[in-house]
Amino acid sequence: MEVHMDMDIDIDFIHNLHFSPDTTNTTPSSDDDYGCNWNHWSPLVNWDAFTGPHDDFHHLIDSIVCDAAAPEYPSPDDHGASNSPSASITEEDDAEEETAAADDSKGLRLVHLLMAAAEALTGATKSRDLARVILVRLKELVSHAAHGSNMDRLAAYFTDALQGLLEGAGGAHSNGKHQYYMTCGSHHPRDDHHHQNDTLAAFQLLQDMSPYVKFGHFTANQAILEAVAHERRVHIVDYDIMEGVQWASLMQALASNKTGPPGPHLRITALSRTGAGRRSIATVQETGRRLTAFAASLGQPFSFHQCRLDPDETFKTSSLKLVRGEALIFNCMLNLPHLSYRAPDSVASFLSGAKELKPRLVTLVEEEVGSSVGGFVGRFMDSLHHYSAVFDSLEAGFPMQGRARALVERVFFGPKIVGSLARIYRTGEELEERGSWGEWLGAAGFRGVPMSFANHCQAKLLLGLFNDGYRVEELGTNKLVLDWKSRRLLSASLWTSSSSDTH
Amino acid sequence: MFPPKKPSTMNSHDRAMCVQGDSGLVLTTDPKPRLRWTVELHERFVDAVAQLGGPDKATPKTIMRVMGVKGLTLYHLKSHLQKFRLGKQPHKDFNEHSIKDGMRASALELQRNIGSSSAMIGRNMNEMQMEVQRRLHEQLEVQKNLQLRIEAQGKYMQSILEKAYHTLAGENMNMKGMGGGQGTPDMGVMKEFGSLNYPSFQDLNLYGGDQLEGFMTSNNNESMFEGKKRLCPYSGSGKSPLIWSDDLRLQDLGTASSCISPQEDPFKGDHKVQISPPSMDSDPMSEIYDTKPVVLHGETVGNHHNKFDASMKLERPSPQTSPLQPERSSPMINAGSVAQGTIISPFGS
Repeated sequence: MEVHMDMDIDIDFIHNLHFSPDTTNTTPSSDDDYGCNWNHWSPLVNWDAFTGPHDDFHHLIDSIVCDAAAPEYPSPDDHGASNSPSASITEEDDAEEETAAADDSKGLRLVHLLMAAAEALTGATKSRDLARVILVRLKELVSHAAHGSNMDRLAAYFTDALQGLLEGAGGAHSNGKHQYYMTCGSHHPRDDHHHQNDTLAAFQLLQDMSPYVKFGHFTANQAILEAVAHERRVHIVDYDIMEGVQWASLMQALASNKTGPPGPHLRITALSRTGAGRRSIATVQETGRRLTAFAASLGQPFSFHQCRLDPDETFKTSSLKLVRGEALIFNCMLNLPHLSYRAPDSVASFLSGAKELKPRLVTLVEEEVGSSVGGFVGRFMDSLHHYSAVFDSLEAGFPMQGRARALVERVFFGPKIVGSLARIYRTGEELEERGSWGEWLGAAGFRGVPMSFANHCQAKLLLGLFNDGYRVEELGTNKLVLDWKSRRLLSASLWTSSSSDTH
Repeated sequence: MFPPKKPSTMNSHDRAMCVQGDSGLVLTTDPKPRLRWTVELHERFVDAVAQLGGPDKATPKTIMRVMGVKGLTLYHLKSHLQKFRLGKQPHKDFNEHSIKDGMRASALELQRNIGSSSAMIGRNMNEMQMEVQRRLHEQLEVQKNLQLRIEAQGKYMQSILEKAYHTLAGENMNMKGMGGGQGTPDMGVMKEFGSLNYPSFQDLNLYGGDQLEGFMTSNNNESMFEGKKRLCPYSGSGKSPLIWSDDLRLQDLGTASSCISPQEDPFKGDHKVQISPPSMDSDPMSEIYDTKPVVLHGETVGNHHNKFDASMKLERPSPQTSPLQPERSSPMINAGSVAQGTIISPFGS
């Protein structure tokens, strides 16, 4: 089953759905639950409690409710197959088709509900009560469980996100990801360790089940290798080093040149953040130790430095130690699934630092977001499309490994969904449509560095290892985009200061 | 990648004598009779592949069945399918992009065009050939490097996981008396496990699951850990499970020739991915990383390359068989101290 989220649902679509008006004039029941006796599925909705003259909306909700109200007591698994007696009679094929169709229609219903909820939260028909009602309904339909469908889980995370917004939890959580994960994750006393282990396990799985991480790392690394081909000293400033996985393969490539002149000395400066408590610094230090050991095992000359960001995570070039004669590289990985959110100001300060220091190369990897017209709902739907593609991509490669996928989704994508929607919601109307960081670099005077044939070739080969559905797109001369079936997900681009001299 | 001396690809260069067998197959009369992939035969091949859903879904066995050509063996089909797949990948671009980008297409396609078009002769042909050769060589380089890089990254991940495991092992020792978990692991066993070097190949395919919950999924562990506690993140080799079965051999791939799949490569049966039915295992990691009882040792270099070229998807849909599961752990325990990067066969050599 694959719920194709390529359809462009817009608000008008919903309102244009013509449903036969049911008798929605119900007897107003008790006020405390607004007449929504959801548990019994009777359409005793006191619509008067909701403001708004939008009958279409009411009809939509009603149709969804009535549609779902089965003759028998409904199970949480709202598959059409269970409602229709014909499914059991006919051959397997028919039943499968029915189930598939039911799945699709359920998926569609979930999308409608989610959109309605998003609308209710922010749209013209803004009504928190309506939103609450819809979310209750959604929560009955969706599930985080591994054995469920992609759509179920995807909708579950989006429901969580919306619920969070409703409850006002969409506050300024730089650590929202962590919090969210904890609330829907482990129950063990040693949460910390399990959390860490979950994260590591999920990270391993993410890398093995999808090309996202490798695409970013390898494309950047190949470009770096090409840019420093005959240098004796290389200095990479890494914006968000995390576990340092990116540099393992770079070191291997640098150290593996058995013939010819010895490879360059590699120096990596990792930015560390003081704001997140001591953990970030400790992590970076640990990463440094690990990288040093790894380099030693390869015989690669290496040194590691930390550069502390200010508490507000602004980067200052003065805090960087530079050596004459070294080829400077700025490496900026953003939005990869395992990376935390970084505030735009912080990223901007880093890239501004790059402008000032004129590095040989700036490697940028970031998420591709669709056009974000239509305010919150528009961006909500875009986000839904985006993560639907991601979930699908994992499933297509590993259809039987539901648990593994569910773990990766829970650890990485769920929190990302929650966090990003909270930010979109919070910034509200003031959020001007921020372009990509690539555009920012272009506007700031950087010029693109052409992506080499070898790099493009590597990307294609890499994707070929995973699944047919992944594509590499060349956008302009300096950018490669990783697509899942026509949906752009991730881009890697190369830049250099226009006034820097190229060796 | 497809040097002209291979008769099956370069129709125009082939000078060997050919005989037509009873089955309608054209075989050469060299000492080693080689199948000649004529245009018609190839067309049938392409049709069969298309019927089966594309080069990634089709297998030599099914192709053979669909084609129904007598005298065509699995060996023939296997190598031809590989080349087809290889040719197909960059070939995607050829259809979608401009003629200029078509230069990047695989030699198979390009050379076929050259061979069949009588207009392309003389200097132009040489230039094009050289360009093609150059691109192919570059592509080979990229491929080789990619393998090494993925492997390096895998080793690095392994070091992370090992460290985390050790930390956790220490932690668990401290909190042994504190409860808080679904079971206590056998400390002695964990210690032993912790000291092992992780074999580097075991996780390279997707395997059937075991009953083990928790993220410890090296095959060393399966019989050791009864507990359902989530002990430790995945502690097998960090290598991608998607690709190769052999670190060392990949590093030996220095020359172009080794990257070309030898024609007579026996298609080693079922070295496919096996999937556990969801009910079998209760652990996400074991879904992906449990070992499987298939011999990976002894496969030739070319074979690995086949796997690398083909999408993993190819080999995935295969019923889970684990007849040898109980036996697996003992050789692994013995082999546990093997240094990283060595090939380990679960069934002895």
